[in-house]
Amino acid sequence: MAKTDNQPMQDDELDLFFEAARQDVAEPSDALMAAIMADAQAHMPVVDPLPAPKAQTKGWFASIWSAIGGLPAAASLATATVAGVWIGFTQPVQLETLSGGLVLAGDYVTTDTSYALEDLAPGYLGTTLFAEDEG
Amino acid sequence: MNMALDAYEGASDEALLVLYGNGDPMAAQLLTHRLAPRVLGFATRLLGGDRAEAEDVTQEAMLRLWKQAASWRSGEAQVSTWLYRVVSNLCTDRLRKRRTVDLDAAGDPEDGQPSAVENMMDVDRATALQDALNRLPDRQKVAVTLRHIEGATNPEIAQIMGISVEAVESLTARGKRALAKDLAGRREELGYGED
Repeated sequence: MAKTDNQPMQDDELDLFFEAARQDVAEPSDALMAAIMADAQAHMPVVDPLPAPKAQTKGWFASIWSAIGGLPAAASLATATVAGVWIGFTQPVQLETLSGGLVLAGDYVTTDTSYALEDLAPGYLGTTLFAEDEG
Repeated sequence: MNMALDAYEGASDEALLVLYGNGDPMAAQLLTHRLAPRVLGFATRLLGGDRAEAEDVTQEAMLRLWKQAASWRSGEAQVSTWLYRVVSNLCTDRLRKRRTVDLDAAGDPEDGQPSAVENMMDVDRATALQDALNRLPDRQKVAVTLRHIEGATNPEIAQIMGISVEAVESLTARGKRALAKDLAGRREELGYGED
């Protein structure tokens, strides 16, 4: 049976038209492709390259600093220096006490308060005392 | 160079756009080869077969894509969807501007443009469909072209046109009905008179 112009096309008929349109692929001209690529080049985002690592060059001070051991060594050195200065400028009376008399800080040659041997060791000269008592 | 292009062949459009955004010109080359024919085909159909104007639209749409590359938000939209939307808007603007021009005259294919369709019957069908599409309201034309020629899904069309999926279904249904009625009048001419 012939279909009349009054009858709308069915889906399968219409699909033939869509299929024909799908096959009609547009081929861009070379000029268009070149123009698009030129735009792409012109508007390509500029990406900053990663900065090159700087060469590690040490100055003379940094060399000495690292040679002596850095901050811990410098702290020890400073402590020792301060202690030396303190010992040099102060009367080291405490030093005598701390050393148990091994280090004598006082002037024991001219002082009146020096002790005689019998004061320190009464038993050592005991016989003399007895002799004097016996007179 | 071709080996490098081959290596990019499996990459998605979005991945290529990110590569281009990172300063890779080869990604732009592949994207152009991949997208420009589709954009041109879509623009040509929306503009009633005006190839020269469609090429202008294609270049403009691709230019906007390049400019968008640096700020492209990953995962938000497909590159092709975004492009179809740009093309749709550009074509709609141009169609509005030339509203006074005779649509039949605008629909004539340009001389000297070889068709990719070899079969004469298919050439006639494609031409007849284009003529019928040109007589559709713009939104129906966009929806039907995207759905039945470009192969987009309804949710994609909804995203491209900025409308709901239900509105897309309504537009494509009405568009198809109008096409079916319009093309029925050319049955004899296109050799559909007999079963």
